[in-house]
Amino acid sequence: MAPSLNDDSPPSTIDEAFTENNLQPFFVLQKGSPRKSDRKSSGTGRTRRFDLSSASPKNSANIEDEKEDENMNLRMEAFEFVWSKIESTIKDVLRVMNTNVFSEIETWVHQSFDTIRSLGTPEFPEATQSFPIITDANSKRLFTGLVLTKNMEFVDDLLTFEELGKHLKYQGCHVANLSSLDFIAKNGVGGCLRSLLRQFLMSSLDPADISILASWYREENCNNPVVVIIDDIERCCGSVLSDFILMLSEWVIKIPVILIMGVATTLDAPRNILPSNALRCLCPFEFTLGTPAERMDAVVEAVLVKPCSGFIIGHKVAVFMRNYFVSQDGTLTSFIRALKIACTQHFYTEPLSVILLEFASEEDNLVLEIERHGLSPEVIWKHVFEFPSCQRVKLNKPTSESLAHAFSELKRLQNQWRAVVLVRLSLFLCFDCLYVTGKGEKVRLLDLFCEAIDPESYNQGEFDTNMKAEKDPVLSSSQIKGHVICKAVRLVRYVSNSHNAFHLSSIRDLSTAKLGNLLKIWENLTVGIPEIDGKVKELLSLLNVEDGKSSKKDLTVTPRRHTSRIQLNIEKDSKSLSDKAANLIECMVRDYMHPTECIPFHEIFCFKDVDKLRLVSTEALIGDPRRRIQVDLLEFQKLLCCRCCTSSSNALLPSMHDTSIMYKLAQEHGDLINLHDWYQSFKSIVLCPNSKRKPRQSPLPKKRKGIKEAESQSEASIQAQFCRAVTELQITGLLRMPSKRRPDFAQRVAFGL
Amino acid sequence: MDFNAAEEEEFGFSRNYFLAKETGSSGKKSARKLSDINVVDEQELREASANIEPKHQNDVADLINSYKSLYPKWVFDLRCGFGLLMYGFGSKKSLIEDFASTALAEHSVVVIIALAEILWEQLKLNRKVSSRSLPKVQQPFSSRSMDDLLAFLDGPEMDEKDSFICVVVNNIDGPGLRDTETQQYLARLASCSYIRVVASIDHVNAPLLWDKKMVHAQFNWYWYHVPTFAPYKVEGLFLPLILAHGSSKQSAKTALIVLQSLTPNAQSVFRILAEYQLSHPDDEGMAIDDLYSISRERFLVSSQVTLNAHLTEFKDHELVKTKRHSDGQDCLYIPLTKEGLEKLLSEMS
Repeated sequence: MAPSLNDDSPPSTIDEAFTENNLQPFFVLQKGSPRKSDRKSSGTGRTRRFDLSSASPKNSANIEDEKEDENMNLRMEAFEFVWSKIESTIKDVLRVMNTNVFSEIETWVHQSFDTIRSLGTPEFPEATQSFPIITDANSKRLFTGLVLTKNMEFVDDLLTFEELGKHLKYQGCHVANLSSLDFIAKNGVGGCLRSLLRQFLMSSLDPADISILASWYREENCNNPVVVIIDDIERCCGSVLSDFILMLSEWVIKIPVILIMGVATTLDAPRNILPSNALRCLCPFEFTLGTPAERMDAVVEAVLVKPCSGFIIGHKVAVFMRNYFVSQDGTLTSFIRALKIACTQHFYTEPLSVILLEFASEEDNLVLEIERHGLSPEVIWKHVFEFPSCQRVKLNKPTSESLAHAFSELKRLQNQWRAVVLVRLSLFLCFDCLYVTGKGEKVRLLDLFCEAIDPESYNQGEFDTNMKAEKDPVLSSSQIKGHVICKAVRLVRYVSNSHNAFHLSSIRDLSTAKLGNLLKIWENLTVGIPEIDGKVKELLSLLNVEDGKSSKKDLTVTPRRHTSRIQLNIEKDSKSLSDKAANLIECMVRDYMHPTECIPFHEIFCFKDVDKLRLVSTEALIGDPRRRIQVDLLEFQKLLCCRCCTSSSNALLPSMHDTSIMYKLAQEHGDLINLHDWYQSFKSIVLCPNSKRKPRQSPLPKKRKGIKEAESQSEASIQAQFCRAVTELQITGLLRMPSKRRPDFAQRVAFGL
Repeated sequence: MDFNAAEEEEFGFSRNYFLAKETGSSGKKSARKLSDINVVDEQELREASANIEPKHQNDVADLINSYKSLYPKWVFDLRCGFGLLMYGFGSKKSLIEDFASTALAEHSVVVIIALAEILWEQLKLNRKVSSRSLPKVQQPFSSRSMDDLLAFLDGPEMDEKDSFICVVVNNIDGPGLRDTETQQYLARLASCSYIRVVASIDHVNAPLLWDKKMVHAQFNWYWYHVPTFAPYKVEGLFLPLILAHGSSKQSAKTALIVLQSLTPNAQSVFRILAEYQLSHPDDEGMAIDDLYSISRERFLVSSQVTLNAHLTEFKDHELVKTKRHSDGQDCLYIPLTKEGLEKLLSEMS
């Protein structure tokens, strides 16, 4: 049953195609046709598609539509631009994170290759034989790198292994990436061999034979190692994997294969999967990748804190996404997907998001040509001044210039905010290094970020009150508790006040060397923001002076009794310095950390519709068919909005959807439903037009006599309705059909929503 | 708080389950038989089920039409690189086909309808056709293995960004596509850069078909809850009617489909057996030796081995069953009624 298509539906042939092709396993509905609009979408060479001034009022509706389309296309373009930027940033960040491990692996690969070569290269006659050379047990050793992914969820590491493959390829190795799909029992060892041949020889040969690979390697110049990467061995079929390993180990002289295997759990994994004869062939080495939390922080820093694409998320959205990351599966992939969904939502709903294209690409002199974005200026101004953030500041002159000015202001404030957040981060990193074991509560950038973009606490001056409370620790300690930024200040003060708690030298370490390092980092971070930069420089010069003094004192040989006095002096100086540093941070937080949501026009760049995201993400990201399909059936009136069935909520009416009646009836039964009873109750409901039957009552045989008069519907059609409803429940998986053992009972599958 | 809610839910689930178990096993369990229902003749039942008066036809149409406003968003999502997954009660076939034919008019659209009876071989064929519809690109290879095809479709960045092939799979969790291998291939197909998948699921446990890699990295689903309440006509086509068991017509029909895919010789062997069964209604079955000698006489088989090959084929499709004869010999019979068998023979010829 095709629904009535709308007016501009395609030619009727498609409708015919629907009916004709109903039973075909597949058909091509339409072939690729030339695009309707000849829009050209290269990023820079965009041309104005239509002239606003010539828009005649006659077909204004049409033009509006066209404009809307145009705007949508531009938004799509902007989305592609922004998302590709975010995506490449994420990739870069992860690559940088893995650089060390990758180069470690690379060195090991080359060392192993040299070891294999040192066992001897095959002579020509040997090399051309189509069977392996075996000299001794030593020559059967297969160098194996076990890469611990530190992540049970494998999905985050797919990219890592792909990148590792690329990296090694770039270094001259022959690389093949295999996945657990190549190691399934059904295909046996032939499956992975075929995959290897495909990747090395670029062709699929049947039958797959390792001697082909050997002759291929001989034809290559034999100077490069062959690396086979298996991304998750836990999911491979053990017997196939062990066959594969045994086979490779026999050929290792002819084909110097080096295995790299991803291990999600512990180093025991190979021992659990492989039999001992295969294990004996392995010569394992261990490498470790970064944890998901570390990756997460790096990604948050690069994408959300540092300037990346211009797209940002609001406080509530950030909190939601953090909780989503923590409470869902804890994978970076799902976080990125949530971010992408937020991004698509934003670009889909916000017409002015097109501006992001220019905002992100152009630097300072942002010249806005609103008309370029396919919307009429009136519409845009109206839209812009409806933003809550604009109504707050009461801008009165809606001009392009004022908007452009506001944008550059926004950029400036964002830069300040960013610098302060990063300064905070550096502070935490510094203290993390110092007191990792002492505190036990590692501050995550994501938490810091969520707090730093909270507009409410900023508006209420919460920072200030907390700061004050900080000075007097007795005051409202509960209020301070958990406030990450204050914690940082507290730490600074803690360190500067606690003379007795730590050995002098450690404080001195912090006060001079550490503090100096910190300040240097801050200086780098605040480049381009003169207000903060000046203060940091000032502090740094002060520190240098102090440093000079103390080193001079250190150099001069002082008598023993004077040492304590000098130390006291240094202590005092450093205390005043760290005090100053703490003051600077307070001042930064107070004056320069404007959360984006407090800045006018931020709505253009900032996605903050958390309710929508919540709705979408619980639905769009994971879906919930089990509950939703049942709710559909139980509360179908809400969806169909029909007048006939809404009168009484609880009673079953004959006008209701058959499957819905059946499912509601099924709720009365236990895990087994007697088909006869079910049918009778269904029949009694369908036949009684005005019965106010409660679904709780079970049908009684005598009741059937009363319904005799309603004979309008034939028995056959009721039975057919019953059959169809049962079939539909079977399709949805809510019912299991009668088995041979119990032919009169169907089985309920779902209990409760 | 979320955690508590989840715990609560879990508790509710188990409680419901045990309550249901209890109700089921308590003395109240009804012992009525299905056969107590005066089931009408099957022919009549089928006719009636073909002519069921649809309820709420207008409301259903309105509901489906109300999703039209989502089409632009769906196209936007597809262009953003997501795959669309529709779920909710009711057949979504017409909805997604309508979407594909109206909103995706700019793109090449290939529709695959997943049905219970689709064999994997046929699906492979689909892929070939789908690649042929690729605009402006010639297939550069002669060998057409699945891997080649996937590699071809997963080309580097396309010239024109918005040209993609949209593969529409209705009922992607249908019985014919439910095995892991098929889903893996579909996932790999979905992860190709040229391909976007629009699919619908109907089963409540459909997400169990996919692992994290498939969901996040390959299919990249964007879920939409779009109940339609439209009847499951196509999806339920091959499911038996519950009140029409032992249906001679249905099994004769499926038997015919299977037989037609076999060689003429195999068909003739089956015919010998069927004719024997019709002419000896009281016999328990036909002895294998007898079948062999008759088949050989008619030059249908050359050896016992060939006959056994045919028989294995029959048995695999449940066309023929073996029974121990009272004299101890194995004999063959066709598990169909006399009428069904007659119908089958008449349709075979």
